[in-house]
Amino acid sequence: MSTDPASPVLRIEGLVKRYGPHLVIDGVDLDVTAGQVVVFVGPSGTGKSTLLRCVNGLEDIQGGRILFEGQPVLSRSSAIHAVRRRIGMIFQSFNLYPHLTALQNVTLAPVKVLGEPSKEVEERARGLFRKVRLEHRAHAFPSQLSGGEQQRVAIARALAMNPHLLMFDEPTSALDPETVGDVLAVMEDLAREGRTMLVVTHEIGFARHVGDRMIFMDGGKIVEDRPPEEMIANPENPRTRQFLGSILHH
Amino acid sequence: MYEFALAGLLPYTGPLPRAIVLTLWLSTLSILLSVAVGVLGALCRTSTSLVLRWIGGAYVEVLRNIPLLVVIYLIFFGLAQVGLRVDGFNSALIALTLNAGAYMTEIFRGGLIAIPRGQYEAARSQGMTAFQLYRYVVFPQVFRIIYAPLGNLMIGIVIGSSLASVIGVEEVTTWMRRAGDETFRYMESFLAVGVIYVVLAQTINIGRIVTGRWLLSRAPIGHRR
Amino acid sequence: MSSQVAAYWYVFLKGVGITLWISWLALILGGAVGLVIGLLRIAPWAAVRWAAIVYIEVFRSVPPLVLFFGCFYGLSYAMKLDLSPFSAATIALTLTASALMAEVVRAGIESVTRGQWEAALSQGMTYPQVFRYVVWPQAIRVMLPPSVGVYISTLKDSSLASIIGYVELTKSGLLVRESTGISFEVLLIIAILYFVINYSISLVGAALERRFKYVH
Ligand SMILES: Nc1ncnc2c1ncn2[C@@H]1O[C@H](COP(=O)(O)OP(=O)(O)O)[C@@H](O)[C@H]1O
Ligand SMILES: [Mg+2]
Repeated sequence: MSTDPASPVLRIEGLVKRYGPHLVIDGVDLDVTAGQVVVFVGPSGTGKSTLLRCVNGLEDIQGGRILFEGQPVLSRSSAIHAVRRRIGMIFQSFNLYPHLTALQNVTLAPVKVLGEPSKEVEERARGLFRKVRLEHRAHAFPSQLSGGEQQRVAIARALAMNPHLLMFDEPTSALDPETVGDVLAVMEDLAREGRTMLVVTHEIGFARHVGDRMIFMDGGKIVEDRPPEEMIANPENPRTRQFLGSILHH
Repeated sequence: MYEFALAGLLPYTGPLPRAIVLTLWLSTLSILLSVAVGVLGALCRTSTSLVLRWIGGAYVEVLRNIPLLVVIYLIFFGLAQVGLRVDGFNSALIALTLNAGAYMTEIFRGGLIAIPRGQYEAARSQGMTAFQLYRYVVFPQVFRIIYAPLGNLMIGIVIGSSLASVIGVEEVTTWMRRAGDETFRYMESFLAVGVIYVVLAQTINIGRIVTGRWLLSRAPIGHRR
Repeated sequence: MSSQVAAYWYVFLKGVGITLWISWLALILGGAVGLVIGLLRIAPWAAVRWAAIVYIEVFRSVPPLVLFFGCFYGLSYAMKLDLSPFSAATIALTLTASALMAEVVRAGIESVTRGQWEAALSQGMTYPQVFRYVVWPQAIRVMLPPSVGVYISTLKDSSLASIIGYVELTKSGLLVRESTGISFEVLLIIAILYFVINYSISLVGAALERRFKYVH
């Protein structure tokens, strides 16, 4: 999708993010190439969400730079809207628009932001509802959907913009256990399609089967970045070992 | 061009302190009495007796939907006709108390019903007396819920006390009208009295904000995410 | 009801109509001003926010009766405006209603969670787009029930227009009282009329609240 297949879709160089005096991202470097599925793990409060939010320009940054498809991501520039249109974001708490039906949630931005004809968008949206296995729920309001259904609508909403990068921030953490699988299955489908994905999750099974890379973050830094199988079987860093031990044995 | 001259009011400032005191006195009495009415009303509204609940509900709905001015006229002029003569100050006091009492009832009721039944059960299971239960468990929690609307209602009472001027009570608003009539410095008397009310209301408002900060600093309950 | 008072039924009826009209007018004007003040109240610039706070607090703190006086006599003398009781009452009621509506608008907009803003921004919407398509449609639902409360409050405040001689419901009652010499009955009728109007409106408000509540 990006112009030069050799150049990374996303490049992060020396990223620093502070909230006041509090250092949250402490010099992160990262290249993500097209089609990669990168899974982020780490204790809570280590800056995983913040990292994704910086990539989307939802936070301003204090150091380093972020390049998305070669363009700098600057949270305060007017070009940020164009960047965000090409990045889909899925939140832990879904954040569906409660005043709109599931279908309207999906069609709103393509029609109003991209200015596409609503007939076409609706057509595409129906296809997306099939993809996330919710054809029968298109006219329900978010409040009438289970958590797992809401999250799948949120995925369809992100896909409707034809994004070049998908970012998931703990997409299954707020779900009842029995609906987690439905969401993970949809995400796995997307990975198989060759989409570029950043996924923050504690689902080690997903990381192992779907992830191309697994990144362990702690204290605002990338501590380890390896293929998931390897990291899970044989974590190098003691902190990684301790963390993986704590989530695997529960 | 109109020449703004606050000095024109100077000869009339003599009765102003008394007027301010009367506004404060009327407001304070109304606040205290309406708290009493509100506690009673809330107990009625939350009681197990259907009749009491209905009476409490009817009182609240009637008084909240009739302008304070009409209540004042009813007591001052209306009762006089049926042989009950009430002077201006007391008419205003009764009307304000009845009016604010309805809002107090709703505030206290809101506070009471927000306390989960489990709190009563837990306290009782520890052997607390009814007094201890309300003093140490219920009231501290209710207070956190009601202090903000209570502050707003107190401002409302001070504002409402201005209506006493229509039946000849010599409080601040009456002073404004007198001073205006005698000097034709209406704008000045209006602004002067406006400032007085803003100071009174904001004193209560700041008290409310300080109370909120203090409560939050002690134990930030009710602010869970 | 004594036939003496009943003969004035059309005076009461006209009073009801005028009271409904002026309070409706003040609600609309106050809503428009309140919308602007409410938006300024949450503007990203501290100075603007403070100006809005001062406006809201001042018109919340000054009794409506004092405002009626200030608008009718104060403006007339100071600005040589010679306002009619109707104009003065409309201005005074609008000022009070706008302070209340500003708070309603602010609360409505602030009720829309940060997650909604972020979801919409992450789809590439500009701030005006987020406001128009995502925030406002949700805020307006939150604002409707308390707006009904503002209407009732404004309707009650409109009784104060009687003080400056505007013949709405309360003044109509006072006029009937003067010509019949009957106080209690006339004032009771006025009270009942206000109650019926306001209670009906509050029922509409309660219905709106039920209608627009999301099940989260
Ligand atoms: N808006 C904010 N203001 C101040 N601190 C914040 C804010 N958002 C996050 N933080 C802090 O930044 C750190 C990293 O947060 P986050 O990125 O959410 O961690 P993670 O997603 O890894 O759990 C935490 O210590 C958190 O308290
Ligand atoms: Mg997080």
